[in-house]
Amino acid sequence: MSAPANRPRWTRQLRGLIRKDLRLELRTRETVVAMVLFAVVTLTIMQFGFGTRDDDLTRFTGGLMWVTLAFTAVLGVGRSYVAEREQGVLDGLLVSPVPRVLLLAAKAITIFIYLVIVEIVVIPLVGIFFVKGPYWDAIGWIALVALIANVCIALAGTLFSGLALFTRARDLILPVLFLPALVPVVIAGAGATHAVAGGAYDMSEYRGYTLFLVGYAILFLLVCVATYDAVFDD
Amino acid sequence: MPSLTTETAAPTGVLGARAALLWGVIATVLVTVATIGALLIAPEDADQGVIQRIFYFHVALALVSLVAFAVACVAGITFLRARTERWDDVGEAAVRLGLLFSVLVIITGSIWAKASWGTWWVWADPRLVTYLIVVLIYAAYFVLRSSVDDDRRMRFSAIYAIAGFASVPLSFYSVRVAESFVHPVVFTSSGANMPGSMLVWFIISFVAMLALFIALLEVELIGRRTERALRRVAIAMENA
Amino acid sequence: MPDPLIIARGLTHAYGDRRAVAGVNLDVAPGERVAIAGPNGAGKSTLLRMMATLLRPGAGTLQVLGEELPAGARRARLGIGYLAHNPLVYLDLSPRQNLDLYADLCGVPNAARRIDDLLERMGLLARAEDPVRVLSRGMTQRLALARMLLHAPRLLLLDEPHAGLDAAGTALLDAELEATAFDGRAAVIVTHEVERIGAVADRLVVMRAGRVVLDEPVGGRSPAEVRARYEGAIA
Repeated sequence: MSAPANRPRWTRQLRGLIRKDLRLELRTRETVVAMVLFAVVTLTIMQFGFGTRDDDLTRFTGGLMWVTLAFTAVLGVGRSYVAEREQGVLDGLLVSPVPRVLLLAAKAITIFIYLVIVEIVVIPLVGIFFVKGPYWDAIGWIALVALIANVCIALAGTLFSGLALFTRARDLILPVLFLPALVPVVIAGAGATHAVAGGAYDMSEYRGYTLFLVGYAILFLLVCVATYDAVFDD
Repeated sequence: MPSLTTETAAPTGVLGARAALLWGVIATVLVTVATIGALLIAPEDADQGVIQRIFYFHVALALVSLVAFAVACVAGITFLRARTERWDDVGEAAVRLGLLFSVLVIITGSIWAKASWGTWWVWADPRLVTYLIVVLIYAAYFVLRSSVDDDRRMRFSAIYAIAGFASVPLSFYSVRVAESFVHPVVFTSSGANMPGSMLVWFIISFVAMLALFIALLEVELIGRRTERALRRVAIAMENA
Repeated sequence: MPDPLIIARGLTHAYGDRRAVAGVNLDVAPGERVAIAGPNGAGKSTLLRMMATLLRPGAGTLQVLGEELPAGARRARLGIGYLAHNPLVYLDLSPRQNLDLYADLCGVPNAARRIDDLLERMGLLARAEDPVRVLSRGMTQRLALARMLLHAPRLLLLDEPHAGLDAAGTALLDAELEATAFDGRAAVIVTHEVERIGAVADRLVVMRAGRVVLDEPVGGRSPAEVRARYEGAIA
């Protein structure tokens, strides 16, 4: 019998959790691929839903992109705890000495990574599909907004998926809880994107929206840290 | 066996009947005064005419619903600390009333929009839009409650009441920021310079609605305390 | 006299209005192996889950490994090993990857070596890289056993551990339970197999309707005697 475990460092615990989720995703390839496909299909449907191909949809760029990203995020977040749910493994995590807040952090970081992968596809695609006029020089700004919005989505999404985990119709409950909270993110993301895409370049508008998203992320971080323990302690 | 009186008695008397009665009387008086004042005594708005009067209630309801959701948030935080059922009662009743008032905000706002703009809905009114989001947020509270098992229901309601209340200012600001870029003129019923006589009635309406909220809250809490007391009696009889 | 590893006083837990555990007093000292038996719905699993810090005590007090619950739950978990019907492993990861995770979560030093040792002891080394999904039930439960022992816990909490274990696994578990009597660890075993109790435990606790109705030593008694004491208690 070897020496008993020391107090585990939270960096090691966090690394272990993220590594577990990424390993699972690499083995099963269930989530990221579906998210990317879903996003592309949604953009295509919107293209057809808004009239003929020759219509200039440039002014809808922000809205189309962010509605797509919001729904894709709901899909991805809904898969957050799927392994723990279907295989009943959650008790294993809960009986270990890992602080619940790290469970939140690990899931949020994983969702963040998946969203980045989706955006690598979606952001250029939106430019190709919808924008007539300058777009590619604004891509840096759009990517920045996306990164900040991803933090907002990841935090709120992990909190609500933690709650939804224990409900009955959980696949339906998550969107009902999550989407209203996402509305401000869509408004701000779409607004910021619209401010710089298609040649408009209104930097004060962009700044306003981006700072709002930073505020959203901070507020939800506080809420999550304050309540995440209570999600799991029975 | 837990004592029925200590566990269910409100601070003022058995099951809080006296508190409810007191607030009921106060609320009735104030609401009557406010209604008469808003409809008959307050000066008529030069631009918008009679229909502007509905704004006294529209704004008062909006503010009080925010108070209700704040109460629910605080009740949620307290419940997570103390884990006593009473705080879940307060939270649920507060959200229920807040939701009711929010729906009334939308209705009064919609009536006002129809009278001023000819349509039942205007995306340009930030309050109307925000309260739509708020209604969606707090309707979800009840969906969550009904789909969680007993042992988690109170805990999850508390967490959601806290998260929901964080979403409210975020919704307000995002809509406001968006409107300010799209419609540079911020759109409210009352201008920056409101005559003192109008302001007085706004304040009275707000206080009246607040009293109404408290009275209804006490009534709701009586209902829940009674339910719980009955349940305890039933269990005690079962175990005896 | 060393401190008990578990001290429960008036421990209660209710699901809504139904009290699954109603006022249990129980001490478990180092070196003790306690079996908990009782009819279905007696509250055995609920009691065990409270000791494992998976459920908050509703009323009463519960101290595990010197930590008052629920406040000290995280520190207590460092020394708790839990085994239940669900093996608590990810089906799409390999045994080694699963143990990697738990080693990280529990802060196990020299993880790679320790994992190899355990996999070998459990006879899983040959299949260490295959996804758990393709392993047999017996092998999966042996992996669960490895998971429980990975961080060398002082307190073993087992819920029907012999169900799902193959012959090899049973031998390994019984050997481990033997050892706990001598190295200052303790074990609490919830079980239906009343006949087996005398072989794996020193003490029998019988629960009925959330209460403890029997608590006495049974070490070395014959299966028939134990069965008789059990039947008498739940009558």
